[in-house]
Amino acid sequence: MEEKQGQTYKLLREKREVPESVKENLKKFTRTKKSILEALKEEEMTVRQLSQKLGLPSHELLFYLMTLVKYGSVQTGIIDDMDEYYTYKIKA
Amino acid sequence: MAENFIRDSFDALVIGGGIAGGEAALNLANNGFKVILVEKDLSIGGKMIHLSKVFPTLDCSACITTPKVSEISRHPSITILTGSEVKKIVKRGENDFEAMVIKHPRYVREEDCTGCQLCEQACPVVVKDQYQYDMVGRKAAYIPFSIASPRVAAIDIENCTLCGACEKACPTKCIDFTQEATEYQLSLRTVIIATGFNLFDPLKIERFGYGKMKNVITSMQMERLLAPTRPFNTVLRPGDGKMPCRLAYVLCAGSRDITVGNPICSQICCMYSIKQAQLLMGALPMADVTIYYINIRSFGKGFEEFYDQAKGMGVNFVKGKIGMISEKENGDLILRYEDINASVVKEANHDMVILSVGLVSNPDNAAFFDRGELRLDPFNFVCQTDLLASPARTSIDGVFVAGTASGPMDIPDSILSAGAASSEAMSYIIRK
Repeated sequence: MEEKQGQTYKLLREKREVPESVKENLKKFTRTKKSILEALKEEEMTVRQLSQKLGLPSHELLFYLMTLVKYGSVQTGIIDDMDEYYTYKIKA
Repeated sequence: MAENFIRDSFDALVIGGGIAGGEAALNLANNGFKVILVEKDLSIGGKMIHLSKVFPTLDCSACITTPKVSEISRHPSITILTGSEVKKIVKRGENDFEAMVIKHPRYVREEDCTGCQLCEQACPVVVKDQYQYDMVGRKAAYIPFSIASPRVAAIDIENCTLCGACEKACPTKCIDFTQEATEYQLSLRTVIIATGFNLFDPLKIERFGYGKMKNVITSMQMERLLAPTRPFNTVLRPGDGKMPCRLAYVLCAGSRDITVGNPICSQICCMYSIKQAQLLMGALPMADVTIYYINIRSFGKGFEEFYDQAKGMGVNFVKGKIGMISEKENGDLILRYEDINASVVKEANHDMVILSVGLVSNPDNAAFFDRGELRLDPFNFVCQTDLLASPARTSIDGVFVAGTASGPMDIPDSILSAGAASSEAMSYIIRK
């Protein structure tokens, strides 16, 4: 038991194949995360601005952006003059 | 197939760890009975633990639920199986039931997990968080939600890439991918069914646009947007992150509607919508909130006053039946509705629509016993065979029903119902 502790994922990997859709999902998140963080490095942006810059549908972008807020890579900035859209920036 | 096999005996099996099941289990345990509580989800607390506040008092839902959940978790006479399903129950005789329960692998040794979330930080995978109703992501190695009980990590094996990052990051080495399902064979003296309800699936009403129009959400999604542990920093439109200012509620979405197979009133939608409208007036002081209703059913203690309070705060009530919802290019929504008082068809613009979805029965109930022994009512809720004199009784002597497994009801009624079910179960156990 002691020997396999910390390595049990290898045992399951021998028995279970990871579906392509799961691998694709990981690739998509990694790619989107990178592009969001790169865009926000330049300046604070709203969901709409980010969506236009990255060419992603705004609902999809919001999902990834809020996930990055949840896990501490991004933080909320200020709200615009019309009190409609918040900006988002890299977490300091 | 299950590798492990555990045989055990208890006085009572409670199926469902929501507020009704938890209350029933506590009542039994506090009276000296040994209880096993089986919950399908990864945490007990049911749907109530995910609510923002409760009506008509506007008390914090989590503040009521968490002490109760903690009491259940720590009770020496209650054994809890989360992530587990009751597969079959057989009545062998009076005070004698046998149940087969499967505990699905969590891939985490619960007793060793400290809930540190280092596995979650290490996991590279992001999928939709079902506890936030898909509005934000979660990892494949995750704590279900911040106030989950047990607060123990789980591995979503369907979405796991088996990269091993979680296992390497775990300081207590409690992640174990060799775990398999465990089968329990239980001997029992009584059974309480507290399997709760399901929310109506709004995809069944295409004209409301749910799923296609991203700013049409369900009332449960709004509960999450209003909760302290919400997915966004404030109430935002899921379509584009805009702070909404013209919100509309569509009542009876999937209730009192024979065309979707649910002709009954869900009993709670009017009041939870009024509650949410009041909370929105607080969260978004500049917002206009309109509730489109057929009838407002404010029948409970303090409900009418709560309704009046909402009107006093400026919530707009329109007696109208929604025909369809369409979307503009900017994500705003047009509601086409029949103004019932004026008998004319009108249109109104809103930037977010909340469907006050109804309650439907949990299909699990039908499968516990063979040959339809457990009778269901016409809407597939558990049939109360003696509704007036003994409302917790079912068609099987010794099997009782608690909470919304028997039909739509609010939280106080669910707790009362659980009290009745546990009392009747105790009477059944001790009677000669």
